[in-house]
Order: sequence, then C-alpha cells, then structure tokens
Amino acid sequence: MGGAGRFLRKEVSEHLHTWRLPVLGGVFLFFALTGPVLAMLTPALLRSVQSSQPGLVFQIPVPGWRDAYVQWIKNLSQIGAFVMILAAAGSVSGEVSKGTAVLVLTKPLSRFDFIVCKVVVFFGLVVAEVVLGTLVTQAVTLLVFGSAPWAAIWMPTIVWLVFAALLIAIATLMSSIAPTLAAAGLGLVAFFALSIAAMWGPAARFSPAGLTFALSRLLFGQPIALAWPLVTAAAATLAVTAAAALLFSRREL
Amino acid sequence: MANALEVRGLTKRFGDLTALNRVDLAVPEGSVYGFLGPNGAGKTTMLRILTGLARADGGEARLLGHPPGSAQARSLTGFLPDVPAFYPWMRAEGFLQFAGGLFGIERAALEERVPKLLELVGLSRVDSRIGGYSRGMRQRLGIAQALVNAPRLLMLDEPTSALDPLGRKDVLEMIASLAGRTTVFFSTHILADVERVCDKVAILDHGSVVAESDIHSLKARYAAHRLELRVEGGAEGAGSAIGAAGGTGAASLIAALKGRPWVTKVEASSSEPGLVSAVVTDLARARREVPRIVADLGLGLERLESGEISLEEVFVELVGAGR
Repeated sequence: MGGAGRFLRKEVSEHLHTWRLPVLGGVFLFFALTGPVLAMLTPALLRSVQSSQPGLVFQIPVPGWRDAYVQWIKNLSQIGAFVMILAAAGSVSGEVSKGTAVLVLTKPLSRFDFIVCKVVVFFGLVVAEVVLGTLVTQAVTLLVFGSAPWAAIWMPTIVWLVFAALLIAIATLMSSIAPTLAAAGLGLVAFFALSIAAMWGPAARFSPAGLTFALSRLLFGQPIALAWPLVTAAAATLAVTAAAALLFSRREL
Repeated sequence: MANALEVRGLTKRFGDLTALNRVDLAVPEGSVYGFLGPNGAGKTTMLRILTGLARADGGEARLLGHPPGSAQARSLTGFLPDVPAFYPWMRAEGFLQFAGGLFGIERAALEERVPKLLELVGLSRVDSRIGGYSRGMRQRLGIAQALVNAPRLLMLDEPTSALDPLGRKDVLEMIASLAGRTTVFFSTHILADVERVCDKVAILDHGSVVAESDIHSLKARYAAHRLELRVEGGAEGAGSAIGAAGGTGAASLIAALKGRPWVTKVEASSSEPGLVSAVVTDLARARREVPRIVADLGLGLERLESGEISLEEVFVELVGAGR
C-alpha cells in the first residue's frame, strides 16, 4: 500500500478514535430517532397550545410517514449541514496548527493526496452515518406510522449527499487556507449563499444551489429536473477539491 | 567526497526581515554536521526550506542531488522538527508503522524495523497513547520516526533540546553511531553537543553563515589557545587596576601583553582575582616570551597554564560581535 493508502487508513482511524465520529454520528442518529416521534407528537403539541389559548384554531392534518421524512431531510439540510461544515473546517487547519502536518508532509505523501484523502474520508464518513440515519428513520417511521416507503426518503437523501460532498469540499478548501474558526465561518457563508441562490430560478435550475431546492419537491413526489444541479455539483466538488490541493501545495507550513 | 547537501546563495525574507542572507553550505556525505546559531539566527527557517515546508526567495539547495520538497528528496531523508507533534490517539508503534507506510515500506519490513527503533530510543516498554507522553518521550519518538526509512540524510532541528542529560547522551551517541553511514545535519544552540559529535560546523548569525569549517580548523583559525597566568602580587594589582595605566602586578602584565602581535585578547579573570587570561595565536611563542615579559616587569611567575579554546569561546567571538 502506497503512502496515500496509508494516510487514507490513518484518516479513517482518526475519525473512529476522535470526537468526529461520535459527534457527527450522534447528531444524525438523534435526528433519525427523534424525527418520526416529533412528527407524531407535533399535532398533540399544537392541540395543547390551542386549548391553552381560547379562540386560537389550528387546522391540524393527521401526521404520517411523509412528516417524519420531512423532519429528517429538514434536520439533515440545516443542522446536519451546519455541524458537518464545522467538523470539516478543522480537518486541514487542525493538522497545520497542531504541527502533525509537518511530520506527514516531509515524507513522500504529496499535498494533493493529503487533501484528497481528507475529502474522500470525510465524505465517506458522512455517507455511512447518513445511510445509517436514513435506515433508522425509516425503521422508526415504520414503527410509528405503519408505513415507510423507500423512494420518498432515499431520493432526497441521496441528492442531499451530493450537496454534502460539495459542502465538505468547500469547508476543506477553507481549512486549507485559513485557521479553523475562519474556515468554519467561510464554509457557513458559502452554505448560506448556496441556500439563498436556490431562490433564484436560473441558479436553482443550472447550479448546485438547485439541489437544496429539489429536496422538498422530491419529498412530495413532484417532478423536478435534476441533471444540471447534479452535474454542476459533482463538477464543483472536484474543482473545489483541486483548488484546495493547489492552494495548500503553495502554502508555507 | 560528494556532498549530501548543497546550498548556494539561499535567501529568505519575511517582509523587511532577512531571515537567511545568501547562505552557502556544503555538507559532505557521511558527515555529522552541526548547524549552530543563537535563537533567531535562522536555523529553523533553513530546515523548513530544506524539507520543502517553506520556499526560498533566492538561491538554491540540493539534497542528495534533488530539490527540497521533491518526492525523491523526501524519500531519501528523515526529519525531526524542533517540536515534533503526533496524533495523540496513536501509540508509538502505530505511529512508526504509519510513518513507514508513508514511505511505502512493506508491512513485513516494518514489523522487523519498528521494534528495533523503539528499542533504540528507549520506548520499547511504553504502551500508552502518545497523548500522555512527556516532551522528552515525544522527542525520542520524533527521532525514531526520522529514522524509519533508514535515511541517507537525516535532518534534526534541536534534537536534544527537550531531553534530560541521560537522554541527551543517548541521542548524541546515536548520532555519532550514524557517522559514515548516514549524513546527519542538525541544528542546535548547545555548543557542547556540536563539539562532541560533529565533524563539521557552520555558525549562523542574523541569517548569514559567519563560519563554516571542521571544528579543529575553526578553533585554530579563530582563537587558537588560551593562557592563564598568575604573577606575584597579581591579586592586588588585578583587583584594583585592570585597565588602569601604570598599575603593578597583573595590571602591568595585561598592559605589556596587549601590544604583542600573537595576543588577540587579554583580560583579568572575573572568577579568580589576580588571574590573567589571554588568548594567543602562537602558543609556542607565548610559552617562550611570557616568562621573559614577566621577568622584565620585575615580577615572579607563579602559574602559566595553556589550554585549547572551546567552541563556545569561538561562538561567542563570532556571534557576540554583532550584538
């Protein structure tokens, strides 16, 4: 196994031995377990508010599996993305500030491989945790509501994972050029910018921003053209990762 | 003999500060080369450039014929930074396996090599995570990881700085044992370490090499020998009249020696009243002429001892002038 392969294994071990796996995994698992339960309890909560405020009338639909799925995707695309960016923002800058990068990069591991391994392993970790979370959501939804169709949860989840790959690449890029805190801030700015851009028609149709817009449509089974957002998101992920590697290779440590 | 490391006109600036100013070095293959300088002289900057962690603004360097930071240069060298940092969740053995893996060394070879390295640096019985290591233990592990690829060129930045006297002795012995097989280039401000193990030395000050030579030539060139003299009645003269014209005893002797061409420095000893210390370039001549000078002054010579000047004195002579 070459140097890159050995570093890849180290990255996987590091996720398993440090806070990243429990924190990220814990967040996703918490969403998976609480989403369907929260969806089931929301009408009861609203009714209790209604009874305490005479004159206030809510039209409360009967909750179902789709509400649990909406909860899962909403959590994933908001808090999940937020936590993921914060964690990825320290992936390179943390090694630089602690000094571990010096021992690694004075050995025959290229800085390009260093960055690519970081992105690949972090994305792999997120995929594994989200897949597990989705399965748990589906199982709890089945228990709570008696039905849990596959496509309605997996389609938006897979689309979100494509978007997550871009967010990880962006956070890694920021981490390659700035300290952790600044990298987290810049990563979040990029995330909010993409979310806002999704409200503009052309950006939603032809750019990665369209993926966030597509999530709710997929949840409700509405037709949507995804080819452009998917292709541009994949291309942007590769381009941003390459930019991170290029900028990091020019940086003095 | 071919050079393992060659540096020509290397320059590095940080804004207005010139950290390295047209540095030239030639480190022969198989030698133990000390890179000596006070704190802030530019030693670490030099090593950062040689390892590819930083870029020079001018000049060039070749490590075993390859440019700094190239894959070839990195595969043939080992490096210990001044403060080595490790993954705290790993154990020493795991880290060395990992470091060896980055060089593409096969697992079977590492299983044989890693225990030997741990034994060499005294960590073979330590099974705790690196996060709990002392600074000295980290330094030892740092040395082990720098040797994991059996490098042809080993670059060490202040390798003994965090070690206790026993650890320091072990590391210096290990460095000395590599002589002839591996080229060792190490930076330090501990002069005794250089004097003990190095074949050659370069002294860096304010980013410039002020001397580069083997240690014996350096001493011979810059100071040669020290004389210690005591004359009858020296204590009262030296105690009161050092530098004063027309004094007797030691003060008269100091005045008489100051004009001699083979005397580069003469002063009263600060540690022992009445003792005169002189640095001379021609010891044989000094041994002949000093008793005569003392006699001409009407004094009696109580003591005349000579000794080789230490590297520390050369260092102070070279570096102290600019401060």
